[in-house]
Amino acid sequence: MASFLRTRIHVARSAGTSISAGPSRLRSPLFSRAASSSATTASSSEEGWELIIGLEIHAQIRTGSKLFSRAKTVYDEMPNTHVQLLDAAFPGTLPVIDPEAVRLALLTAMALNCNINPRSTFDRKHYFYHDIPPSYQITQHYNPIARNGTLRFEAGEPGVNRTFDVGIHQLQIEQDTAKSQTVASEVLVDLNRAGTGLMEIVTEPHMRSSDEAGAFVRKLQGLLRRVGSGDGDMEKGNLRVDANVSVRRPGQPFRTRCEVKNINSVRFLQQAIEAERKRHIEHYETQPGVPLRQETRGLNEMTGETYSLRSKEDAEDYRYMPDSNLPALAIAPAFLESLRTAVPELPWETVSRLTSTFGVDRRDVETLIGLDEYTGAGIAYFEAVVGNNAELGKKASNWVTHELLGRLTKNNKTWSPEVVPASLLGEIVSAVEGGKVTGTVGRSVLKHVVMTGDTSKDFETLVSELGLSASADDLRASCEAVIAKLPKEAEKIRQGNQKVVMRLVGEVMKMSKGAADAKRAKDMFFELLK
Amino acid sequence: MRSSVTRLSQAARTAAGSAAISSSTPGPYCWVNPAAPSSSSSGPLAGRSIAIKDNISFSGAPTSCSSRILDGYVPPYDATCVQLLTAAGAHIAGKAKMDEFGMGSLTTHMPTSYSAVHNPSGPDGDAEPRYAGGSSGGSAAAVAEGTAWAALGTDTGGSVRLPASYCGIVGHKPSYGMISRHGVVSYADSLDCVGVLAKSVSSVRDVFGVVSQPDDNDMTCASTEDREKAATAASKVTGPLRIGIPIQTHLEAPNVQLPTALLEYLRDTGATLHAVDMPSFRMALPAYYVLATAEAASNLGRFGGGWYGADWEKEKVEGEETGMQRRRRIRTTGFGDEVRKRILAGTHALTADAFNNSYLKALSLRRDVRRDFAAVFRAAHPVSGGDAPSKDGVDVLLFPTAVRTAPKFGQASSGAKEYLQDILTVPASLAGLPAISVPAGRAEDGWPIGVSLVGQWGHDEVVFRAAEGVEAWLKQ
Repeated sequence: MASFLRTRIHVARSAGTSISAGPSRLRSPLFSRAASSSATTASSSEEGWELIIGLEIHAQIRTGSKLFSRAKTVYDEMPNTHVQLLDAAFPGTLPVIDPEAVRLALLTAMALNCNINPRSTFDRKHYFYHDIPPSYQITQHYNPIARNGTLRFEAGEPGVNRTFDVGIHQLQIEQDTAKSQTVASEVLVDLNRAGTGLMEIVTEPHMRSSDEAGAFVRKLQGLLRRVGSGDGDMEKGNLRVDANVSVRRPGQPFRTRCEVKNINSVRFLQQAIEAERKRHIEHYETQPGVPLRQETRGLNEMTGETYSLRSKEDAEDYRYMPDSNLPALAIAPAFLESLRTAVPELPWETVSRLTSTFGVDRRDVETLIGLDEYTGAGIAYFEAVVGNNAELGKKASNWVTHELLGRLTKNNKTWSPEVVPASLLGEIVSAVEGGKVTGTVGRSVLKHVVMTGDTSKDFETLVSELGLSASADDLRASCEAVIAKLPKEAEKIRQGNQKVVMRLVGEVMKMSKGAADAKRAKDMFFELLK
Repeated sequence: MRSSVTRLSQAARTAAGSAAISSSTPGPYCWVNPAAPSSSSSGPLAGRSIAIKDNISFSGAPTSCSSRILDGYVPPYDATCVQLLTAAGAHIAGKAKMDEFGMGSLTTHMPTSYSAVHNPSGPDGDAEPRYAGGSSGGSAAAVAEGTAWAALGTDTGGSVRLPASYCGIVGHKPSYGMISRHGVVSYADSLDCVGVLAKSVSSVRDVFGVVSQPDDNDMTCASTEDREKAATAASKVTGPLRIGIPIQTHLEAPNVQLPTALLEYLRDTGATLHAVDMPSFRMALPAYYVLATAEAASNLGRFGGGWYGADWEKEKVEGEETGMQRRRRIRTTGFGDEVRKRILAGTHALTADAFNNSYLKALSLRRDVRRDFAAVFRAAHPVSGGDAPSKDGVDVLLFPTAVRTAPKFGQASSGAKEYLQDILTVPASLAGLPAISVPAGRAEDGWPIGVSLVGQWGHDEVVFRAAEGVEAWLKQ
């Protein structure tokens, strides 16, 4: 089917031209007319204004296939190679929803503490454009699948210095558009993305700084990945953000908001918000009494300024209408209950549990989460290393995040739960912390396993095979050898000069290449030189 | 792949052309299958020639929907109902002419290159040509003239029943969702039903039995579970039928009347007749036009986008033309007058200013129509339940299918009158109920009249049984 379609790319005036495979940024011109305000730095006039931000997020649902057709979802592949007849709106084709997309949207909604709509419906949003072959987008305008959620932020989280909730107005399922691109006078269209499932997540205007907006996006990315419903990859465009920005005097009613569309990185989001903040304040300071025009704006990524796309007066009438091809999504209560138990521990819950239970550093927990954001395998690994020795928690996290990951980085290897089995690392940590072996021995064993990839042996075997075992006889022999080597120092100890013992201990350590236990060597010298 | 499609499309058009040229009278087909029925086919419809309406996708021929905008378009797939027909051994006789995208009731809204469809069912010696009705006029005429044993049509507001009545054959609009719409070019999704036309109820039942199947490609197609519920409920309707006659369907002469002899015959066979009040019928028509045009405006938005369509779409025009200008030109010249009119009406109904007073009002009226039907039937809806079954309820409703016999050529009435006819057919469409038109003799002018029977959702078999009662009366 795809090959049939590929031969028929002739949208607009572009007959037979091939479409460049590179990612295109949807309707995002490289150059724009300059925004009205000049870039001013924060000045005293900006004081006394409160920034108000609400976000609208489009996140592709991570099912691997499109929402209403069985075409695969791909990134950066040959244009128009993953297109079924429905995606090109062939006459007579009908949408058939992917139940997995619904399941993932529900999980996401639950993680956002939303009320689930037991009977949501699909609507059509109409407009004529190349990127939408049927001339309507299937969305959930009247009855979204979820509403009224919250995402909590605690003071101390990155970018956050107050504890507050961001309300989730609603979460709806809808279709992504095709990519269209203007090359010279031709409009080129790639339907690979057309019909990909999206979750549109709309927040309440509860954020008060660009840092908070950035923190929201990052937290949501972590949520999507952990729940498995999205990659949240802004660079690839599978998570896109629209920001609604306004300013007001604290305690006063909201003022006009402007929406900046299609932002594709957290940095650009914060840039856009700052640009809007300055523009709004400058307007109110220089033209008090003149209302700001409500507009949809774009971000010029070159200048960091925003520019007008359209004003509210020329907003399109989308003629929303129920889609009769799709029956209402009736969610059975039993299914919903089974899903509730499937919501995994979310990243910030993991941070708070591990920091309070084990005293692990927040940063280390974040490192562990980052090992596999989708499955939480890094956390599971850490917990397996700790085993029943909760008191080793903080040490274990050091061993995983510093010793193990550091060693892997040095050897250019990537982490997986198998490189160094959790049971082995657990043995190392308890042997070192229990004083059975030195840290150096522990690190040597770890290095050996990483380098050889041989995970078949247990700790004891490795220690002895590597000649790292330090038995009492060996220690006595070493100490005697050192005494023989350094008779003057030995004599001083016999005469009660205890400080000199460290010189001898140092010699033992040198001989054993760090394997010896310094404390036991010291005791041994005192015993031998009584 | 493209070249094979092009070849196919040329072969198809050559076939269509030769059929039109060789035929001495203008025919009901826009494409005639040049192949003869296979003698070796097997299955319940083995060797049966079946015509399919030109809005049903068939990869062996163009599917133009009688529209210039799809001139020569050959679908790259077969509709589910076509797959089922051919799998059952049927021979696709040809593609039947229709009103453009199903919009019309006389099969007159066609490209200028299409010859008119004549009604072949007139009395001997009546040389004045009459319309076959529409929008499935080609399907009805093909069956009536005998070149097809049966035909598939589509019925959005009466488009199978009305031409069946004009042509003196049986036309069945099944319960909504019984026949998959996958591959059927949408007019109004919430109303569209594939229907069956044939000379007898028994033939209709045979074809319906083949094409009435669940389909994973159409989420509105009834599931196996719902079909079983419906079949169980329908099998409980036994004994003498209770027949309701809606007082709102009685129109004064010269409009067609239910034959008195038919009513007496039905009563003699044990059925009981009951006058029933269906007040919502009067508001069914405006509701229908708002909903059908709104859905049509939405569904037809896909044409002119360039991914498929007529060859002429690909021609470049002189000078600069933006994508939007191009789309506007193609849609303006590609759609006929009636289609453009309905798209505009439907677009208006959906605009923010009109929505509450048109579309939402129409949805509410549609609920009223459903409620009236639910209140009048003896059996509850087999799936959604609803009102408790009423002992005093009826099993089927009976009323004339059309207000008159087939109109003469050139007598195509003004828009308003063409729409008026729909009052008899649209209520069953709005409620998604099975409705069959069955011949009931001839009027004084010698042309056929038909009567309609409407039953509870899923009671297609009950409706067939009642229709066989009418057939028995006619045969006696």
